[in-house]
Amino acid sequence: MNRTLRKLFSNATSLLGIILLVFFIIIAIFAPVLAPPLSDDPYQIPRMSWDVNPQPPGFPMSDNIKDMYKYIGKEVKYDKAICGTAQGGYDIFYGLIWGTRTAFKIGITTVFSAMLIGLFIGSIAAYFGRWVDEVLMRITDIFLSFPFLVAAMVLTTILGRGLNKVMIALIAFGWMGYARVIRGSILSAKEETYVMAAKALGVRDGKIIWRHLLPNTIFPVLIQASMNIGTMVVTAATLSFLGVGAPLGYADWGQMVSFARNWIVGAPGHAGQYWYSVFYPGIFIILFVLAWNLIGDALRDILDPRLRGEL
Amino acid sequence: MVNDKKPLLKIEGLKTYFFTENGVVKAVDGVDFEVYKRETLGLVGESGCGKSVTAFSIMRLLDYPGKTIGGKILFKDENLLKKNNEEMRKIRGKEIAMIFQEPMTALNPVLTIGYQISEALMMHFDISKEEAMRRSVKLLKKVSMPIPEQRVNEYPHQLSGGMRQRAMISMAMACDPALLIADEPTTSLDVTIQAQILDLMKSLLQEFNASLIMITHDLSVIAEIADKVAVMYAGKIVEYTDKKTIFHTPLHPYTFGLLTSIPRLDVEMKKLNAISGTVPDPLKFPEGCKFNPRCKFATDKCRKKEPLLIKIEEGHMVRCWHIDKVKKEMRKGFLVGV
Repeated sequence: MNRTLRKLFSNATSLLGIILLVFFIIIAIFAPVLAPPLSDDPYQIPRMSWDVNPQPPGFPMSDNIKDMYKYIGKEVKYDKAICGTAQGGYDIFYGLIWGTRTAFKIGITTVFSAMLIGLFIGSIAAYFGRWVDEVLMRITDIFLSFPFLVAAMVLTTILGRGLNKVMIALIAFGWMGYARVIRGSILSAKEETYVMAAKALGVRDGKIIWRHLLPNTIFPVLIQASMNIGTMVVTAATLSFLGVGAPLGYADWGQMVSFARNWIVGAPGHAGQYWYSVFYPGIFIILFVLAWNLIGDALRDILDPRLRGEL
Repeated sequence: MVNDKKPLLKIEGLKTYFFTENGVVKAVDGVDFEVYKRETLGLVGESGCGKSVTAFSIMRLLDYPGKTIGGKILFKDENLLKKNNEEMRKIRGKEIAMIFQEPMTALNPVLTIGYQISEALMMHFDISKEEAMRRSVKLLKKVSMPIPEQRVNEYPHQLSGGMRQRAMISMAMACDPALLIADEPTTSLDVTIQAQILDLMKSLLQEFNASLIMITHDLSVIAEIADKVAVMYAGKIVEYTDKKTIFHTPLHPYTFGLLTSIPRLDVEMKKLNAISGTVPDPLKFPEGCKFNPRCKFATDKCRKKEPLLIKIEEGHMVRCWHIDKVKKEMRKGFLVGV
């Protein structure tokens, strides 16, 4: 494990990934300090004005909104929109900060849950084999036959709007890869003599899978998981962009890009006038996904025995 | 060693076949033997003769396509083939334990020695982790593992081959089993370590009052440890007797061949004897006696009809039509000093 960490830190690309990730983790942890919530639900992006048009960075908070916050006793930390406002006066800076928490929540929850489901199904299929394997893997194939984005979109639409629904949809169609990878690894690992030896000692099947097989086979799955966190976040953002994701005003990068949809081109004669409305959320999404992919790549290079020594 | 007590393990007509795509492989085809308390049975034969499959059948550890389709395995008067999976699991490790050939691959590389021993203990006894670890250290001490307190926390790759086999043995002995099955436990070790391991096993068997089925192709191991010997060929027992008889008056041509293939220092030999031919293809065993294509005594009778395992004298059974010829050949000066 030390060797893995040392290699992660000594490699330029993985170091960049780690620095980016640390940056996002700090933002997520200190979100209440960086951008104190102005309503009961901290994920609700406060509005700086009631304007339809996006407003550039440095735009001051309108007086009647300021009065409103004064009236309900909330202290306004920034009375200017640091990164400008999105359509409808939503504060981009606030959305970015709290959107980081949303991104971590989506990425880690979906990947972790999907991985657990995949590990469960894949390991049981491989360990018991024969008809159990056949049934479980055919179910996996059925799930795989749906295009991921379309399936997730349809399921979210059926379940209704909301971040939790998005996550459920992503988990429901995101576990198959893990199931296949772990099945392959366990199929080869279960032929090892130590599995037979454990059986000969009367160890229970569940314990053999959990304590003997998974520790020997889980690395490829972990690598895949770390690379998938980015993908899940992008897909969730896509769903929000398409309007089936987070509810209106929820601090979510995808939704913020979706706010920018009508303003990307700018006004006639002023191309890129509203650049800030798409640039900030866009760059956050890119960097977040990049961070996870760099780490995932580096982990794969380090842990894959076939590539060992070539790093 | 033969006594009139009830046997600990009695196997009757055991048949284990493998249903492969190319046909049915009769790996074990009607094997009978008995193991009494504190007795060691040596199961001898070439690779692929079905001795390991016999062991796995007793433990009921064979997976598809292997299946035990006939016979009885009576352990303490109960037929193991009639037990359900959970009952069988409770017998494995607790009543019957197994030692494997390759201690390197039979120990899980990612778990400590101590964990693997205490896992066996915790599966069968209701004890705490700490208690199990304490017992693991004691067990390692019993198998003469150097510095056991330190070794319990080490991983298999940190141990030498001999130490790994000691760890394996301590795992097998952990729950004080009545019967131990050792599948070529010394094959992957060098000769000096082999002797140590065999000595260790002998003393442990005495201490734990356990019986042993020793599976091996190495007759010197048999000479060292066995009380009785069953020689297997092509899924059947061809000769079954005690250790002394097998080395001094073997009656089956195959046993005879095995013994004459041992290199000797005391007799001038120009060339090492070998049994001609190879082990028959398990998918198409020859008709009649399965040894007939390789047997120098073979006649037409051997090619047509398979002989039965006949009792020649008390405690000596042989499966051959031409015992008299073998006897005559033997008098011509064949004897192995044991």
